[in-house]
Amino acid sequence: MKIRSSTSTRNKVLSNKKTWKRMYDYRVLYLFLLPAIIFFFIFGYIPMYGLTLGFKEFRFDTGILMSPWVGLKYVKRFFSYFQFWTLIRNSFFISFIKMFFGFPAPIILALLLNEVRSTKFKRTFQTVSYLPYFVSWVVVATMFSKFLSPNQGLFNDIRMALGKEPIFFLGQVKYFYIVIVTSDIWKNIGFSSIIYLAALSSISPNLYEAASIDGAGKWKQVLHITLPGIMPTVGILFILSMGSLLKAGYEQIILFQQPPTIPVSEVLETYSVKVGLQQGQYSYATVVGLFQSVVSLIIIVTTNTIARKVSDTSLW
Amino acid sequence: MVLKESIGEKIFKVCNYTFLTFLGFSTFYPFFYILILSFNDGYDALKGGLYFWPRVFTLQNYIKAFEDPLILNAFGISLFRTVVGTFLAVLLTALAGYALARKDLPGRGIITFFFFFTTIFSGGLIPFFILLRSLHLTRSVWIYVLPYLYSFFNIVIMRTYFQTIPDEMRESAVIDGCGELGIFLKIYLPLSGPMLATITLFYGVGHWNDWFVGAFFVSDKSLKPAATLLQKILSETNFEQATDTNRMNFNINRAKTTPEALRMAFLMIITFPIICVYPFLQKYFVKGVMIGSVKG
Repeated sequence: MKIRSSTSTRNKVLSNKKTWKRMYDYRVLYLFLLPAIIFFFIFGYIPMYGLTLGFKEFRFDTGILMSPWVGLKYVKRFFSYFQFWTLIRNSFFISFIKMFFGFPAPIILALLLNEVRSTKFKRTFQTVSYLPYFVSWVVVATMFSKFLSPNQGLFNDIRMALGKEPIFFLGQVKYFYIVIVTSDIWKNIGFSSIIYLAALSSISPNLYEAASIDGAGKWKQVLHITLPGIMPTVGILFILSMGSLLKAGYEQIILFQQPPTIPVSEVLETYSVKVGLQQGQYSYATVVGLFQSVVSLIIIVTTNTIARKVSDTSLW
Repeated sequence: MVLKESIGEKIFKVCNYTFLTFLGFSTFYPFFYILILSFNDGYDALKGGLYFWPRVFTLQNYIKAFEDPLILNAFGISLFRTVVGTFLAVLLTALAGYALARKDLPGRGIITFFFFFTTIFSGGLIPFFILLRSLHLTRSVWIYVLPYLYSFFNIVIMRTYFQTIPDEMRESAVIDGCGELGIFLKIYLPLSGPMLATITLFYGVGHWNDWFVGAFFVSDKSLKPAATLLQKILSETNFEQATDTNRMNFNINRAKTTPEALRMAFLMIITFPIICVYPFLQKYFVKGVMIGSVKG
């Protein structure tokens, strides 16, 4: 009975004990998670610490931890790089046009496929349309370069048959963006439409029936039932793709880049690969990467916040 | 309810089918075209005009490709990383998904966020590369396996699917005296074949297709996988086109084929396993994508 004075502390101790006891009961599950925790710590969080390299002078012998601080030296160098604005513009522009054309494409495809009644046709089409998603960008780039090649490329064969001069498509600035957007859509449209098709199939048929009884035509049904039905899905995917607004997709760009197209195709990521992995200017290249990571994070958080305010669709 | 189609709907239907057929064809044809070229004599192909069927059928391109020690070695590396990397990744991902599927696990939300945050913010390529180097991975074949053991998306797929398995299954197993590992192996894994197939496909394709790691993080030629080799060939031929030197630099032992035809065969060998695998897993990965996209 003397203990009364310290009931609150005792409760705390007890609840702490409880927590530890409970956690001990789950020890096997924590063991299942241990490799994942170690993995994300090493390959996810240690490189985040490695971002400090942007403010240090990298020394091979000591590693990032012991490298001496140099303040904003490399940040200034990057901001005063004469092509800084070109890099920003290209990164934004390429991401933007890919999104502008690439985001609605699978939605439109799903809507069109949704109108197809023949199961056989639908299934065959879907199987074929997933294929490019599963092959490597290298394969896609090789195919495109083959098709667009000035010697025995299909497109130039057609041109020559029409009596025109062959064009080296991949080596010309004016065709670069068309090739990037087309190949991106060609590769991903089928697979990206899966999610929308799933959303479409979960719309209750009763709604359509009720609408047609009310005298709504096909078009009206699409407008008032189908589109609102897939809106949440569209919203989530839109936020996710906003997050990659600065990530222009370096694999694809590196593969399609040619010396003549560098002025329009060099983006933050490819520049970072060049100065960092090919020229060994680690600190400088880290700053370029950091710039991109921070801007991407800001964009995704902002988009999500706006989405949460104006609609009920958000990631968190 | 059968309604009579209006004229407008009929027109739409025809246009729709036509458009989709065209789209399907433009997806399929490039693969078919490469297939034709890979089975056609290289010198004959130089004349052009090959569109629908090989003119001079030959297996030489494939024979030469499989005789090339460099190509064989690259496929060996690709095979190793795909089999070992995928197996380990699937096993570990399933374990993590199983633990996170338990709603009563203390700290579940914190741990999930700990994983999730890495998907929206990262250190970027350079710190990652320096880390790989300091771990001495850049000179080892494990560089293809260890940094790619988990993907957050796949953990979510597994976790969400495991949550759909009724708790009664687990409880009855506990009464039978099963431990967590026993429940995982005896009940949860056998029930989730479709999802395991899905993430196996995703991890496997990722490994098979990755060229970047081999191209930029690894300098040892004998460690480079097939996709990286293809990228190297691509950039060289592009360079040739760019500098307008269309030299056919074939050496004596390759006289039976051209570099171009050999490339097409190589492209086909890389693509073939994928074409064989993915259609059979289609109904599973469609489900997997749906599950993964639903906020768990």
